[in-house]
Amino acid sequence: MRALPNDEFAREVMRIARTEEPFQPRFDYDPDGDCIEFVFQPDPFYAERLDDLVTVYYSQETGEVIGSLIKGVRGFCKRVLETSPGFRIVFDDGRVKLEHIFLAQLLSRKDIRPDDLASVTYPKLMRAAEESDAQAEVGVC
Amino acid sequence: MASGPDESRRQYLTLTAVNPADGLNQTVQISYQRIQTLGRRSMGHTKECAFIVPIILQKPSAIFEGLRRDEDDDRWGCGWRCYCGVPDRAYTADGTQRPPYRGQVYLVFINDQQVAYNWRWERADPDDPRLPVDHEKRFKRKLL
Repeated sequence: MRALPNDEFAREVMRIARTEEPFQPRFDYDPDGDCIEFVFQPDPFYAERLDDLVTVYYSQETGEVIGSLIKGVRGFCKRVLETSPGFRIVFDDGRVKLEHIFLAQLLSRKDIRPDDLASVTYPKLMRAAEESDAQAEVGVC
Repeated sequence: MASGPDESRRQYLTLTAVNPADGLNQTVQISYQRIQTLGRRSMGHTKECAFIVPIILQKPSAIFEGLRRDEDDDRWGCGWRCYCGVPDRAYTADGTQRPPYRGQVYLVFINDQQVAYNWRWERADPDDPRLPVDHEKRFKRKLL
């Protein structure tokens, strides 16, 4: 397997990424990282870990929440279904609404207080997910 | 160029990264699917992959192994690495090059199959601006 020289790698990335599609809020399940990435604004961002499951993306320009990364999706779904079998109803044939993942994690946290960052951030992420009707097809829940 | 862990389903680009075990080069892959996702996001995100990710993989300020999680999950243990560095540039959403963000570092995460699956800016450690904040708590060991 030959590694591309950096200039060729960059050219290939620019070619593969080329698209005429305008930006839309998107979620993507990446099997390589077993993670779901949800980005609802195109700004450059920096990331901060919210808890064991979720890393939040903040706009470099405005500081607002513009996305998130959910890690260890397979393990999370397995744990949720073991502890709360009722979630089977919303994990429908491997398609999961993102707001349900956020809600499941929020409900599973026993340490959360109203003044925690998570108490503010989870509702923002849930609203954004609901507005974009984001569903992840992970096939493992 | 297009080979990967699962050739029947996903295609990959291959680039060079430093191997912390011996300081020599190894290969790391990035999926076409991931690159196409960036293209639909913004030119800035695409250029981060094209121009910043190779810099971090080849000249990192540190490499960490073992992403800590509360539950015991081997998949996040050995082999899952985080390359860290401060690139000489950043990109705005429209792809315009600008200076790097002050007080931030760039991280590239690879799995145990040597696939880079995520990369991003994060806040730097105030005591060592070449490293991410809370690196002592987040990773099992520092390899480089």
